[in-house]
Parts: sequence; C-alpha cells; structure tokens
Amino acid sequence: MTLRRHTIGAIIAKDARLFTRDRFFVLITLLGLAFYVVIFWFLPDTVDETVAIGVHAEGSSLHMAAGPGLQVTTFESTEALRSAVEEGSEGVVAGLDFPQGFAEAARNGEAVRITQYVRTGTPDEVTTALGSLASEVVASLAGDPPPFDLVSADVVVLGEDRAGSQVSLQERMRPLLAVFILVVEALALASLVSTEIEQRTVTAVLVTPATATEFLAAKSLFGTGLAFAETALLLLLIGALATAPLTMLLTVMLGAVLVTGVALLAGSLGKDFIGVVFWSILFMVPLMVPGFAALFPGSAATWVKAMPSYGLARSMIDLSSYGAGFADVAPLLLGLAAWCAVLFTAGVVILRRKVHAL
Amino acid sequence: MSFTRIRTILGRELRMGPRSPLVLYAFVLPVVMTLLIRGVFGGLFAPEPRLGIVDEGGSQVTQRAQELDGIAVTVMDDVDAMLDRVEGNDLDAGLVLPAGFDATVMSGTPADLGFYVGGESLESNRILLAVTTLDLVRGVEGTAPPAEVEIVQLGEDTPDLTARLLPLIVMYAVAIAGAFVPAAGMVDEKVHRTLSAVLVSPAKMNEVLAAKGLLGVILALATGLVTLAINDAWGSSIAVTVLSLLLAGVMMVEIGLVLGAWARDANTLFTAFKAGGILIFFPVIIFLFPSLPEWIARLGPSFYFLDPIFQAVTTEVGLADVWVELVIGLAIVAALAPIVVMMGRNLEGRLARTT
Repeated sequence: MTLRRHTIGAIIAKDARLFTRDRFFVLITLLGLAFYVVIFWFLPDTVDETVAIGVHAEGSSLHMAAGPGLQVTTFESTEALRSAVEEGSEGVVAGLDFPQGFAEAARNGEAVRITQYVRTGTPDEVTTALGSLASEVVASLAGDPPPFDLVSADVVVLGEDRAGSQVSLQERMRPLLAVFILVVEALALASLVSTEIEQRTVTAVLVTPATATEFLAAKSLFGTGLAFAETALLLLLIGALATAPLTMLLTVMLGAVLVTGVALLAGSLGKDFIGVVFWSILFMVPLMVPGFAALFPGSAATWVKAMPSYGLARSMIDLSSYGAGFADVAPLLLGLAAWCAVLFTAGVVILRRKVHAL
Repeated sequence: MSFTRIRTILGRELRMGPRSPLVLYAFVLPVVMTLLIRGVFGGLFAPEPRLGIVDEGGSQVTQRAQELDGIAVTVMDDVDAMLDRVEGNDLDAGLVLPAGFDATVMSGTPADLGFYVGGESLESNRILLAVTTLDLVRGVEGTAPPAEVEIVQLGEDTPDLTARLLPLIVMYAVAIAGAFVPAAGMVDEKVHRTLSAVLVSPAKMNEVLAAKGLLGVILALATGLVTLAINDAWGSSIAVTVLSLLLAGVMMVEIGLVLGAWARDANTLFTAFKAGGILIFFPVIIFLFPSLPEWIARLGPSFYFLDPIFQAVTTEVGLADVWVELVIGLAIVAALAPIVVMMGRNLEGRLARTT
C-alpha cells in the first residue's frame, strides 16, 4: 500500500493546528516543561560524602586527623561541643568528649569513660562507628595498634573509584524527568486518539481520500514528533546533550516511539477521557519504574531490566553521567528498539481494528 | 433545596460511582503511593551502608555484624559473586573472612582479611564500614574494650522521613477522591448531556452539586482514613485527625466542583489539574523540608488541614492546639462556598442556552 505524503502531512497539520489553537494547552505544556527544568536545577548537584564530627579532650592536645569521608572539628570545651552537636553547626552530627587525664589512664591500661554526643536523628551507623572510633583512639594510646589498616593499605577498591565525583541526585533525575515528559505527552496523544474515536471524527477523515493506514501513520508521526521535540528540548535545558548528543537523541527518538505505541493502545482501549487516563496510568506507571530505579545506586533488579523503558533510562544515565558512547549503550538501544516494535505494532493493530469497527 | 432529591441523586452517584475507574484509582493510589514513597524515597533519602560478608569459617564477626543497627549486611557464599556486587555498587563494601580467622585473631598473630570497597560507594560509607569492621574484629580478640562509651542524645526529636512524607500521601488521597472524582463526574455528565437530562427533572443544580459534593466528601474521608490506616498514623488525637480530614474533603470537593463546572471537557479539566495542582500541593514541601520558612506553606489552603494532621501524627496535640488552623481552614471553605454556587448557576445558564 502506498502512503501519500501530502495526505499524511495534511492530517498532521490538522492535529498541530488543533494542538496549538488551544492556547491554554500550549501555555500549560510550556509551563510544565519550565517547571521540570526549574526543579532539576534546584536539585543538589553534588554528593556530600563526609561525616562531620566534633572532638573535645579536656586538658589534652589530642589531635584526631580527618581523612576521606571524615571531617573532624576540635572544640575548646564540652559546652562548645554539645552546642555544636545540638545545633548542627559546621555540619557536626556527633561528638566525642574525652575526660581529663584520659591519655594517661589509657597508657596505664585503665578503663576510660568517653561521652559520645549524638544529635537526635543521626543514623545508627554513625553512632556505632563513632563509638568504635573512640575505642580505637584509646587502644592506640594504650599501645595496642589496630590489627590491620582498613582505612588505607588493606583496602581494595573495585571498579572506577568515584570518591569525590559521585553521580549526584540531579544527574540521576535526568532519565526520570525525560520519561515523565514522554509519558505526559503520550497521555495527550492517547486522549487525542480517543477523542477522534469517541466523536467519530475519524470516520469523517476516512470519507476523504485518506486511508486508515495514512490516518494511523499521521497520528503516530505526530505523537512521536511531539514527544520527541518536547523531551529533546527538556534534555537540552537540563544539560543532557553535552556528551554524545546524537546517541542521546536517538535514545529519545526510540523512547518517543515506545510511548506513542502505548498511547495508541490506551487511546484505543479507553472509551472516554477518564478511561484513557485509567489505561494510560496502567501502562505508563510501569514505564516509569526504570526511571525511579536509576535514582538508586547499584544494578537494577532483573524484573526492572525486563521493563520496556529500561533501555531508555539506563542509556540516558550512562550517556550523560558515566561518559558512555554509542557502542556502550548499543545493546540497551537494541532491546529498546525491540520493545518499540512490539508495542508500536500492538498499538497500531488494535487502533486499526477499532477504526475499522466504526 | 430538597434533601430528598439530594439523597436520591447521591444514591445514584453511590451506585454508579464504583463503576468508574477513577473511584478505584482513588482507593488504589494511596496504597501505591505509600509503597512507593516509603519503599523508594525512604530508602533514597536515608540509605544504609551495605556490607557483604563471605565467611569461610563461621566467624563471630559475621554474627555480630548481622546484629548491628544501621548497616545492611548480606552474607554470601561465593567470593567472586560478592566482588561482582561490590563492583556493581550493589554493596558498598565486601569482607572475606578466611577459615580459622577467629583463632588467628585470638592468638594475636596478624589476620589475613580481605576488605573490598566499591568505586561508587560514598567515602563516608567506606570509613563507617571500615571502622565498624575494625571494632567487630577487636571483639573477636576477647580482651576487655579499652573504653566505655556513654551515648547522650541531644536536640529535639524531629519527625522521621516517613512521618514527613505522610502529608504528601494524604494530599494525593484527598485531592484525587475529593476534587478530581466530583470534577470528572461533572464534566462527564456535561459531555454526555446527562446533566441536562437530570435538570429537566425537578432536581436543581445546587442539589446536583450538593449530591456530587457529598460523594466527594465521603470518598475523601474514606481514602484519607485508609491512607492513615495503612501508614499506621492515627495520631495522638482522633478528633483532630478526623476533623482535619473532613475539612480536607470539603475543601477539595469545593475546588473540584468549581473546576468541574468550569471545564468544558475532560481534557481541559485534566490540564487544569496538571497546572493548578501545584497551588494545592505546594504546602507539603514545608513538611518535607522543615527548615524552609513556614509562611510560604501558610499561603496554600491545604496547609490548614495538613498541619493539624501532621501535628497529631508527630506530637501530642488536642483540638485546643490546632484550633486556629482549623478555623482558618473553615473560613476558606466558607469563602469557597459562594464561588461554587455562582459556578453552578453559571453552568445552569450555559446548559439552558445549549439545550
């Protein structure tokens, strides 16, 4: 069957006119986009990898050295230490207060009583580790060195050491925002399709020389184009096109095709707008799961990897935050393309049946 | 206004309502939100350091590590599998305890211990796990601890993250059930012209609005109570909690009816919620980030029911402590009432012109 470009173009132009004619929709779409961009730039762009503690040693010049991950502030008095912990000044979350003569007592092998101040809400692991640290200081003064040096020499770092340059929450949010925009646009397309069916304007279009295939092609192209354009603009505004822009745009294009397929399905299944919202949410929420999973450290669970949008979210974060290139994400994009083919075909087939049934 | 007719219309709404996917959505959403927010975001904002252990000889270290608070310990059998998980950032660090480790430590000879950290693990987690591991190994030596550490808690007890996220979940529950369901019902009746059909009967517009509003209040109260129940957050005062939820239901219903009367179709309504939702939802920010100035949240009407609920859940309060917020909330409800009536009349006029 031959598809006539001018017919498809005319239907797309009609949809575009309908979309842009409603200034309310256009305004809200732009405001929504601006809102996501603002949220993105307000998110923390660094990762705080340091635990800040305070130390006071009465009548002693105890010096605890800070190290990677540990910031130590020395205080002149117990009151100053307590106050710092209570108010969280200088980021101090806990403090160790060594009593008068503790060093001599430790050297004589006598028990030393140390007060550990902890601000309410401090994580348990910090409290536990700080107690261990206090014991280790006393053991060291007593001439009992640690059995091994876990802090430096005996530690093996596996993988690229990203200490000091961790992927921030802001960077991790990129795939989620992109998937969210794609999903919202898909909802708009699903609604458009449902309206055409509900109001039977599709039958009006089909009494013209336009065929059902051309109608479906136009809807698919319009939906994909709209989702792609808005998401690409978002990625540009949140700085996600700085590295490997072409691969990133290819990823977004596949994502747009994926959600268009889902939108055609939701638009065909929903009898009215409320039905469309229901079906869309049913389909779209699982699509957002890989975006949420990208917020967490570590590899995704197997069931998350099986989600259609996993390749989209993972490729985005690998490209924008881990310096990956096309070759690195090619297997993910291949999986995404396969899902695109499945969902897009399903969407087109079901919508075609619905159109023919009218 | 006839209460009999309102009851009749409400009866119809209650019979037809459960068929709408939105009502199902209103009840399912709080459960999904609770799971998502508690499971996903709770873990995101307060991640525990993750330590993997391969114990080749039944060391005491493993048992003591599993008893630690604040550290997620995973005991594994295979060293390579554990190292893969450390490298893949599924664990922050991994510990390999060879056979005879405890005996070696107790004899005072240097022990051979493998400690691996993931490249993507935070420096803070690395130091916390390293120091804790050192202490665990010291414990195996069998000597008395060199220091006695007394822990003193300072500062006020601040609500934990789960409590701070509760207003967000409650907000979603009452907004969907109280505002979106009646609004969507109004729009649906307009689009399908069943509203015009009802109005040619003796029923009046204000009776239709009252019936739809009552349905919304019942739903909002029900979903709000379900939300509090699944979060185990009844609070210190049931009276404060229920009154606040009732206030929330009525306020959301009024907003929903205004939007439902105004929107010409479901698309417009959905877009209005998408855009205007922020005006209803923004006060939840103050509960998530208590350091922000409270006056910002006080600009949002939902603050006046969210704050009493939050206070009841996190502290010991009674009606005497939150009456100011509740009265302001009631004043907002009273101010919205004439707008609902006006929008109803306006809609009635529009329907009369088009039929």
